[in-house]
Amino acid sequence: MSVRVPLTPVALLAVTLALGACSRDRADEHVAAFARLPDWSGVWVADGTQVNIDGLTPTDPAAAAAPFPETMVFSQDIPWNDAGRAKVDAVMAATHGDPGINNRSGAGGWGYPLMMSGPAPMQFIVRPEVTLIVNPYRDLRLIYTDGREHLPAEEGWPPTTWGDSVGHWEADTLVIDTIGVREPDDYQGIAAPFSAQAHYSERLRRTAPNRIEGEMVVEDPATLTKPMMVKLAYVPAANMDRMIYDTFTNNRSGFDGEFNTIEVPEK
Amino acid sequence: MNKKNCRAFPGLVLAGTLCAGTALAHHSPAMFDDKQQVTLTGTVRVFQWTNPHCYIQLQVRDADGREEEWSLEMGAPVYLQQQGWRPATVKTGDQLTVTISPLRKQGEHKGGLLLNAIGADGKPLGKPTGKTL
Repeated sequence: MSVRVPLTPVALLAVTLALGACSRDRADEHVAAFARLPDWSGVWVADGTQVNIDGLTPTDPAAAAAPFPETMVFSQDIPWNDAGRAKVDAVMAATHGDPGINNRSGAGGWGYPLMMSGPAPMQFIVRPEVTLIVNPYRDLRLIYTDGREHLPAEEGWPPTTWGDSVGHWEADTLVIDTIGVREPDDYQGIAAPFSAQAHYSERLRRTAPNRIEGEMVVEDPATLTKPMMVKLAYVPAANMDRMIYDTFTNNRSGFDGEFNTIEVPEK
Repeated sequence: MNKKNCRAFPGLVLAGTLCAGTALAHHSPAMFDDKQQVTLTGTVRVFQWTNPHCYIQLQVRDADGREEEWSLEMGAPVYLQQQGWRPATVKTGDQLTVTISPLRKQGEHKGGLLLNAIGADGKPLGKPTGKTL
């Protein structure tokens, strides 16, 4: 049996004021949490990867001589072990040294970790509980910074193209831990073929108004003889007053058994 | 790491030019003969501002006066956008002079990779906005 206690006007006012105070406290905490975050707004692009209208040649001629990033199968700076080297050799043999032809399957983006070194500009949407990294090819990373752990192993989640990321802030540095990344070359033929057991650790910080810098350490005993570090650097993308996202509506790339082709337009 | 790193990968058709950003494309660029540059002048039939590539369909008269259409591939919209291009930068009927790397295997339907484009006013297309988000 319950007892009903009538709310007097005074009690009602007290409850209302208390609820309002709680709401203001939460709002103040929310504002304070945002205020502690660095400003990574804007559109950013991996430094040195900016390309001309052909989509291939760097806008900076010096970049043409830069080595391949260690997230790409072409890199000669990856400390492959025998198993890793065998994977690379197999990819190269199967594609006659041109693994880009594997993308006629229609991969819509770079996948992780290649997207962090690629020429597609990115946005970092920074919130207290999560940072979202997204590029126009719909590569999407959610980095939870709310204190949660990785997906529980006992739940059996399979690897994904972008993996499972958690992170935290050390002052203005975002520290990211990523596991559960499907073999990158499964999605994008030119990606370095790390194993699905690879562990990726990143640190990113805005070091100047026009620069975000950091590093990625890849640990993958299944394919590497030792952990490997990849330097990361991003600069503002020119003329990008907004990011336009779209699907692949006009894929005219064919394949004649030797080379890609340009298919005749429908109209 | 050194320059040799990006130039010596065996078996890669375009290894001499494929480094960093150059190799990160939707598909292999080996289809284009990057040792050749061809200049074409013609009339735009259509400009496709689309993923994964933009295309200009350019109608060009050959040496015998016959009109043929070239499919000229470009980068994705997001790369053109960074160079100051917008969907209305090229319109149907525009007169263009373009430099291309032709397809290695030209069939009945001609094609190539568009390297640069000059408008009827003699100026390169694309106008930097200077705006960023």
